[in-house]
Amino acid sequence: MIPSVPAVLVDLAGKVMANAAPDVNPTDRAGTLGLSALLMGLAAEGLDSAAHHLVMENRAFRALLAKGAAYVPPPAEHAEDDFRLSALAAENGRLRAALILLQTAVEGRDEVMNDAIWSELRASTERRKTQGSAV
Amino acid sequence: MSHPLEPRIAAYIATQMLDATDVTVRDLARISGGASRETYRFVGAWRQGGQARERKLILRRDPPASLIDTERRIEFEAYRAFHGTSVPAPEMLWLEEGDGPLDHPFFIAEEIAGFQASPGLLWNAPYLDSHARLAQRKWSILGEIAKADPVANGLAQVMPGVAAGDCWNRELTYWEDVLDDDEAEPLPIIRAAIRWLRANPPPPAQKVGVVHGDYRTGNFLYDPDGQIHGILDWEMAHLGDPLEDLGWSLNPIWTFGRRLAGGLVPDAQAIAIWEQASGLVAEPTALHWWTLFNCVKGQAIWVSSARAWLDGGNREPIMVYPAWAMTNAQDRATLQVMGRL
Repeated sequence: MIPSVPAVLVDLAGKVMANAAPDVNPTDRAGTLGLSALLMGLAAEGLDSAAHHLVMENRAFRALLAKGAAYVPPPAEHAEDDFRLSALAAENGRLRAALILLQTAVEGRDEVMNDAIWSELRASTERRKTQGSAV
Repeated sequence: MSHPLEPRIAAYIATQMLDATDVTVRDLARISGGASRETYRFVGAWRQGGQARERKLILRRDPPASLIDTERRIEFEAYRAFHGTSVPAPEMLWLEEGDGPLDHPFFIAEEIAGFQASPGLLWNAPYLDSHARLAQRKWSILGEIAKADPVANGLAQVMPGVAAGDCWNRELTYWEDVLDDDEAEPLPIIRAAIRWLRANPPPPAQKVGVVHGDYRTGNFLYDPDGQIHGILDWEMAHLGDPLEDLGWSLNPIWTFGRRLAGGLVPDAQAIAIWEQASGLVAEPTALHWWTLFNCVKGQAIWVSSARAWLDGGNREPIMVYPAWAMTNAQDRATLQVMGRL
């Protein structure tokens, strides 16, 4: 989730505190607190599974990149020893960038590889689906 | 408790209505949503010709940083061009492009009061029986927008022109640039969609017309009978291929989980209504291109929302909501349109 959940929660904590002041305009307060509550709900829904999804995704991406090494050299190995969300997300970004290069290289040349990439992109999107998703 | 903006708005209106006295503003309330502009409703009151008068009004003000960067003059002129035509649009009153009066540029318009805009209400009584009529009005009005002559209504003078064969490239390049500038993480699905769009361009536009730019359920005022009383949110209006608007209205992100165009009717029905009203043809491969393009555009907008928050330009919670709630759904929509989901 971008912006990151911790960064947003820190900001929302400040907003909730500021809106506790008695002189805040009631309609402004209602708007800010209503949206803050909505975001807290989304954060709660996503937080428990976030690390799990990133680890699964990063492993799948690494496997695809290794398979496609003939087309695009895979990114340097990265020890999976930091399981904070920020570290997992940074690694995920690095692997996604490499996957874009790989898919660009195999499109029209290796449809088996291309289909394998689509398959993981579909799976990753399904994993990240939120409860109230519009699609 | 009065809102601190009320006396400032009243002072501004007084400078615009020189024959009015005792101008006051009351009941100012922010309307939720509005990530691209801050929107407030209020009541303006004054004395004119010895008579006390009042009017329900809307203030649309630029936020410190927005999820989309748009020209407010173009938005203002688009509303103005369609007000009083078969495309219902509120009357525009004053445009202020300076920062002086209210810290950021803004415009003030009449409020079309007493109707709903929120899509969420449509899925419950008393609106459930109105979907077919609402769809008829929704896509008929979109057809009327497509049919409008931008030279005759003056918009060709304020909106940058584009050749019929370049509509697709100009829009795709613009939104790809937005993604390049604003994305905080690489987006493989959207990048694959862009590659496909560039490799399979649509035919030239049948006509260069006015494109609303955000024509969807949620951006018009409706009633329980399925009537539409105002088309809102023209901030992305431009000249281009009318199929762009139809494609945006068919973006699966606007199905609200109901697998119907705009949450209302099957795609084919919406397309037929639009074709009849516009007199144009929605050639399937061209429409598919524009629908997929609109998935890219949607993702660029959600990404920009996150960027505005990350860069600290706008820390309103509304800037986080699209990034958290829409990014995955837009990826899913893109996969669906590409036949991958």
